[in-house]
Amino acid sequence: MEYAILLAQAALNGLVIGAMYVLMAVGFTLTFGIMRVVNFAHGEFYMLGAFTAFFTYVYWDIPFVLCLLIAAVTIGVLGALVERALIQPFRGDETSAMIATLAISVIIQNSAIVIWGPTPRQMPDIVQGTLLLGPFSFPWSRLLVIAAAALIFAAFWLFMQATRIGRAMRAVAQDKEAALIQGIRINTIYPLAFGLSVALAALAGALMGPVFSVSPFVGLTPMLKAFVVVILGGLGSIPGAVVGGLLLGLIESFTATMFGSLVADILQLLLVILILLVRPAGLLGQREV
Amino acid sequence: MLETSSPALPKLERSQTAESRNLRQGAVIAVLLAVAIGVPQFATNQFYLHLANMILLNAIFAMSLGLIMSVGQISLGHAAFVAAGAYISALAALDFKLPPLLGILLAGLVTGFSAALLGKVLLRLRGVYFVLVTFLAGQVFTLIALNWESVTHGANGIVGIPAISLFGFPLGTRLRFYYFALGLFVLVFAFVWALMRSQYGRAFRSIAENLRLAEASGIDVSRYQVIAFSLGSSIAGATGAVMVHYVRFLSPDSFTFTDSIAYITILVVGGRHALIGCLLGSLFMTPLPEALRGLVGTQHILYGVILLGMLLFLPEGLVSIGRLFSRGSSRGTR
Repeated sequence: MEYAILLAQAALNGLVIGAMYVLMAVGFTLTFGIMRVVNFAHGEFYMLGAFTAFFTYVYWDIPFVLCLLIAAVTIGVLGALVERALIQPFRGDETSAMIATLAISVIIQNSAIVIWGPTPRQMPDIVQGTLLLGPFSFPWSRLLVIAAAALIFAAFWLFMQATRIGRAMRAVAQDKEAALIQGIRINTIYPLAFGLSVALAALAGALMGPVFSVSPFVGLTPMLKAFVVVILGGLGSIPGAVVGGLLLGLIESFTATMFGSLVADILQLLLVILILLVRPAGLLGQREV
Repeated sequence: MLETSSPALPKLERSQTAESRNLRQGAVIAVLLAVAIGVPQFATNQFYLHLANMILLNAIFAMSLGLIMSVGQISLGHAAFVAAGAYISALAALDFKLPPLLGILLAGLVTGFSAALLGKVLLRLRGVYFVLVTFLAGQVFTLIALNWESVTHGANGIVGIPAISLFGFPLGTRLRFYYFALGLFVLVFAFVWALMRSQYGRAFRSIAENLRLAEASGIDVSRYQVIAFSLGSSIAGATGAVMVHYVRFLSPDSFTFTDSIAYITILVVGGRHALIGCLLGSLFMTPLPEALRGLVGTQHILYGVILLGMLLFLPEGLVSIGRLFSRGSSRGTR
């Protein structure tokens, strides 16, 4: 029985971090699919989202939903501006664009250290109490993260499927030239896509703020995991990011429960290398042309 | 197999300018070397000597990364090979009393060999996938170095690493080490220079320029990529070992992802497509944190700003400043 409780706990934790990985990886893979840019600053936008949620929630004392909204909008707009000013000049030059995002990441992280200091801050739980199901107990705060992430992803999916801009983004991802011929304005789609992508990262950060702590360094691990997820799922593939994210969260949680987190991290890398050997474009990805 | 018959006229013209260019380049190199050998004799400030040593070492790290980038692959885990070389030589010296010079050789061999094995697997990935996997591999290396305490001493680090001794002549002082580092730099520079002018260099460049075309022309892309990757990693490992016998302290924080970015920054700032760019980039970027010591915290921000600014406004690096003045005669090493 105790073993079952342990497993249930691990499954819940796996779903929580898996939900966060999904949000991170979907945004990351979106930028790559549409713009062919690997965004090494993705984790820093996660960190900015966490800080935005922290300050608005703790100091303004407003409902957490509003905090999420504020984080998504401000960081999304910031991301669109960053794309327009600093990434657009490197269109068509993947290498330079990637190095530019490395530089942006360095700038954002160190600015955060200068402004907010390196000490981690604890954020209060959004909801208290636990859900009791027979012998199993699940904290509501964890369940909230899973539900919120599912809602956010559903909204994102609807946006991509049903709106004109979402369709335009998918068109650009499929074939840039053909999209251009159809009259889609790449110069508005790119900043929008980048803004949307980092807004998802900011939401992930805001959601995880109460679960982990908030500091200028929190962005690195989620970004690392997003890399693993997109390699598993295939760069540019959104379904791949969802499947890969949940899978990675669960695998990580179970291996960490059984063997400790170091072994979990090393196992992950081996898994990635193994999958890349068998399917170089990821589990659900398509071959690069 | 790569030879293409170029028209007669441009060829003639080129050989004439090439001769005068070679002469001038030779003179410049001779003067630079004379300065590099002479000046430290009069340097009384130990700190400047230390900076000079770090400039040389960083330039070598950048050259070794540039070698890997010359086949069109960017490694974000380069610091892991530097660290691996440093650990091998430091532990061999402390645990097995291996002389540092042999340790450095061992470090170069082991890192080169493991890079060849790893490269066989990882280099099947192209472009972005390779970048991401090398990034992950670098992170895992840091994790292992931190947690495998029985061997690496974990976060406490390793102290008391002996200095290099050349035939019983210890390189304990900064001045002595400077000449060793200078010799190493010249050696690596000459090696990479010659390599890039050989059949290998031509193959590397053709792969970087157009992988599919190179493949279609019968160039064994993966073989050349593995060669470049293991040579670059081997130089990085050996130089990491050299550095650890100079700094004489090693911890998992000594070489991390930040250093991998620093090597890329040096390459970009100096000029990605010219070998001398590594030295220029290192000359500029290595002393920079020291110059900005008063601005704690903001120095890293400035680091990022400089990297971004170079990419935006001077994408060919500091090297291209010189080229702006002497246009025509030097189409560079591209």
